[in-house]
Amino acid sequence: MQQLFKNIKGDKAIWAVVCLLALFSFLPIYSASTNLVYVVGNGTTIGHLIKHAALLFIGLFIIYGVHKIPYRYFRALSIIAMPVVILLLLITLAQGTTIGGANASRWIRIPFVGISFQTSTLAALVLLIHVARYLTKIKDKKVAFKETLLPLWLPVFVVLSLILPANFSTTAIIFGMVMLLCFIGGYPLKYLMSIIGAGIVCLALFVLTAKAFPGLFPNRVDTWISRVESFMDDADTESDYQIEKAKIAIATGGVVGLGAGKSVMKNFLPQSTSDFIYAIIVEEYGLVGALTLVFLYLLLLFRIVVVAHKAEDVFGKLLVLAVGLPIIFQAFINMAVAVELFPVTGQTLPLISSGGTSIWMTCLAIGVILSVSAKREEEVVEASAKATQKNKVEENPLEVLSEQL
Amino acid sequence: MPTTEKHILNRLYVIAGLIFVFAVAVVVKLVSIQTVDGDKYRELASERTVKNFTIEPNRGNLYSDDGSLLATSVAKYDIRFDALAPNSENFEKHIKPLSDSMSVMFGKSSSYYQNLFRKARATKNRYMLLSRNLGYTDYIRVKSFPLFNLGPYKGGIIVEQETKREYPLGKIAKRSIGYDRLSNPVGLEGAFNQYLEGKEGHRLKQKIAKGQWKPITDYNEVEPQDGYDVVSTIDVNIQDIAHHALLAQLEKYKADHGCVVVMDVESGEVKAISNLGRTENGKYYEKLNYAVGESHEPGSTFKLMSVIAALEDKVVDTNYVVDTEKGILTFYNRYKVRDSKWGGYGKISLSEAFERSSNTGIVKVIDKFYGDDPKRFVNRLYNMRLNEPLGLAIKGEGEPFIPHPNDKERWSGIALPWMAYGYGVQMTPLQILTFYNAIANNGVMVKPRLIKEVKEWNRTVMKFDKEVINSSICSQETIDKVKALLKNVVEKDHGTGHKLYSPNFSMAGKTGTAQKNYAAKDRQKLQYISSFAGFFPADSPKYSCIVVIHEPDKSVGIYGADVSGPVFKRVAQKIYTDSPVIDTVKDLEKPNPSVEEKYRAYYSKVQNHSNIIPDVEGMSGMDAVSILENLGVKVKVVGNGKVRKQSVKSGSKINKGQTIVLQLS
Repeated sequence: MQQLFKNIKGDKAIWAVVCLLALFSFLPIYSASTNLVYVVGNGTTIGHLIKHAALLFIGLFIIYGVHKIPYRYFRALSIIAMPVVILLLLITLAQGTTIGGANASRWIRIPFVGISFQTSTLAALVLLIHVARYLTKIKDKKVAFKETLLPLWLPVFVVLSLILPANFSTTAIIFGMVMLLCFIGGYPLKYLMSIIGAGIVCLALFVLTAKAFPGLFPNRVDTWISRVESFMDDADTESDYQIEKAKIAIATGGVVGLGAGKSVMKNFLPQSTSDFIYAIIVEEYGLVGALTLVFLYLLLLFRIVVVAHKAEDVFGKLLVLAVGLPIIFQAFINMAVAVELFPVTGQTLPLISSGGTSIWMTCLAIGVILSVSAKREEEVVEASAKATQKNKVEENPLEVLSEQL
Repeated sequence: MPTTEKHILNRLYVIAGLIFVFAVAVVVKLVSIQTVDGDKYRELASERTVKNFTIEPNRGNLYSDDGSLLATSVAKYDIRFDALAPNSENFEKHIKPLSDSMSVMFGKSSSYYQNLFRKARATKNRYMLLSRNLGYTDYIRVKSFPLFNLGPYKGGIIVEQETKREYPLGKIAKRSIGYDRLSNPVGLEGAFNQYLEGKEGHRLKQKIAKGQWKPITDYNEVEPQDGYDVVSTIDVNIQDIAHHALLAQLEKYKADHGCVVVMDVESGEVKAISNLGRTENGKYYEKLNYAVGESHEPGSTFKLMSVIAALEDKVVDTNYVVDTEKGILTFYNRYKVRDSKWGGYGKISLSEAFERSSNTGIVKVIDKFYGDDPKRFVNRLYNMRLNEPLGLAIKGEGEPFIPHPNDKERWSGIALPWMAYGYGVQMTPLQILTFYNAIANNGVMVKPRLIKEVKEWNRTVMKFDKEVINSSICSQETIDKVKALLKNVVEKDHGTGHKLYSPNFSMAGKTGTAQKNYAAKDRQKLQYISSFAGFFPADSPKYSCIVVIHEPDKSVGIYGADVSGPVFKRVAQKIYTDSPVIDTVKDLEKPNPSVEEKYRAYYSKVQNHSNIIPDVEGMSGMDAVSILENLGVKVKVVGNGKVRKQSVKSGSKINKGQTIVLQLS
């Protein structure tokens, strides 16, 4: 055990938050799995629990493995991974799984393991690291818009256009994250505006093409439109039905909730183990549970900011934010969907929702963040070792304080 | 584009701040859902997911007076077949023996059932009806058939249980027993519904999914309370007799409808009540409760009331001679009272007028003595409670009607003479019977009762005792006189009911043949109501009975004695032959003095005479033989009865093997 803790590097608070969330996730997952078992008729409750445990265990292993990698290697990795990701996206799109007639080719099955893999989440991670790398590269020079087009925006455009037909919300979120990262990374604002404009034009073109030639290629344009419409108007639709159930769950939860496993709405909410798990958590654990969860994610955000702050170089900072902010965004978007602040998007609650890819990609991101923070620790240790050598007796108490932010 | 680390961090703080604001917004929205819209959604939650299930109580049983079941609730089973549940191997293996078993039980050929099962499997029928309303034993038998004995999941048998109300007597007294239906339950079932139905229980259940509901708690929120059992006064045997006697007569006379009620004189318990109405195809069934609900002009049966009023007021006596005026009496030059016999009966006594049912005779007497003061007559009737309903527990009792001279709208000059022979007044058969029963019961008018007791298992919840409406409707003297009149109706040769006379049993009563629709211009529409009300045995009445038959076929017969009387007679006769009065030994413990005396004499002789011949003269032959043989003497017996003479004198010594001859007589 001692040995294990010795080997764990990086921000201990992040480790703690991740473990807390992972441990907590068993409760709602086990409770809501009755929906999958008795309503959908899929597997057994114990089966779902064991599967979730296995996924989390592998996830923690991923975190451990990744955080041992010095973060400078991720620059090179993102360059290598980019073509692989694009290939995977092509395969995913090509196999064309449909849900209710609409294109939902989001997953590919990993051969032999038998686990579905949502390629877009991996693609998002790789793309953001790629953007962070590029922004670091151009940090010291003044760039013209034209010269950024090929190295920066071409990969973004290719990846997003491959995800878009099957998954608008993920595309939009990834696009938003890229914009955010560019904004933080000092990319000129006027260029960003043109890119946003171009993005909207592309989307409009896509929707119009899909509308004009419905049989041309599989897409989910109709689903998006109906979802957005249902968010805007009062008519009863499938999404409204889901949202209403989520709100019923939230309202019945009250302050302390019904108690673990006593959720009623879990049986009526589709996706109660993934997209709408927050509503189930509020129903079972009440406002207390809801606020705790919000607090944990905010704590995670705070530690990410701290890690970014402490990171010694621009790539370190941008890398942490590139992989860290999407987790936080995804978490709050998921919650916002449950309380009807946001249209139904199908974003999972990071580290809580079931679903292999979601957990693993989050773990990958956490591992990257920890890797950056672990590097910093090494430096601090080295620096303090030097400092101790210099002024043998006296230790500067401010040195420790400075570590806090 | 020189980007400093500070630059990055500043922008990061802005973004982090925005995320924090977003988080706050989520929390605010969440709290608002819980508080502002909370009630609405919580209500929706209970509306959508919680349901109050009703648990039906078991309905109580309805018993006859001797405890036989009239109505009970039993479990019935519907058997259905899920043709896709069994796998092919089981299906093919068992289909033949299963079809054979079905064939044996339900009669159709085995191949028919094989076809049925195969077709159901081919068409993927998962809910094929095989049999409805099976009793428990039949259901158990079907369940044990090949394939079905594998159970619902492997064998595909679907069993649905239902609680059905069963009437062991079938159509007999169906209307009086009534039936339990949601709206307007009728008969005893309806009248005593409040006792029989019990109270519903409630259980809250929560929807799980796909139409499945789970109970929220381990117990029922409200436990169902089973209905009480009701013991009625109906005697199954008498009911059976009355029903069939009435049915036979209705069929014979092709009458529209009729009813018969048998009542226990002393207690007022209704032993039988049968109402039969004609359907379009000429069959009869328990249609409406005519006996209780149908008020009609009684006709001649009402003459009893008139005569009693006159006798009670002592305006006439039974030997008063009245001129029947050649059979026609005219009032106001227009309104005529006719006798059924053309030309009338001449001058006859009041009793004969009653026995012959002379309309003119009775009307003339009443008109003569009450014409000046009709109030006196009507008040007398009112005193006997003839104008008041009985207040029965069964719903729908018809209102009696007797106009009063104070009621100017409904009273007229001819009201009194018309009333005297039963027109212009309305009574239900049960109300008339109650009056006749009071006469049989020596003036004590008891309320007819259909219910004896309400029970919960063996515990009595409520007991219904005899209820006296009027302890003395008239003097004993009057009663004795009219009882004789009623008896003479049957016994006297000139009595209208003499056709019913039988030397084997006695009965008393009054015939009635009332006209119906007499106001109609079309003589074809004129119909008759034939009735007979009375009691039996004539001298010490045990049962009273009324038979009313509406609209008999005029070509077959109309008179009360012909149409209704036979029903009455049949009921009386049957009750006598089918339910004999059984003498019971009241007190077995109490010694019979004469037997005791004989036993003592016998005992003393056995004790005292061990070697001499005892005196057995005067003893019964059986005793004498046993005493003597026990002493070792051979006994020869001549004749029967008591010992008259013994061949060996008492006191002489016994020789073993000696023979003694006893002469009995």
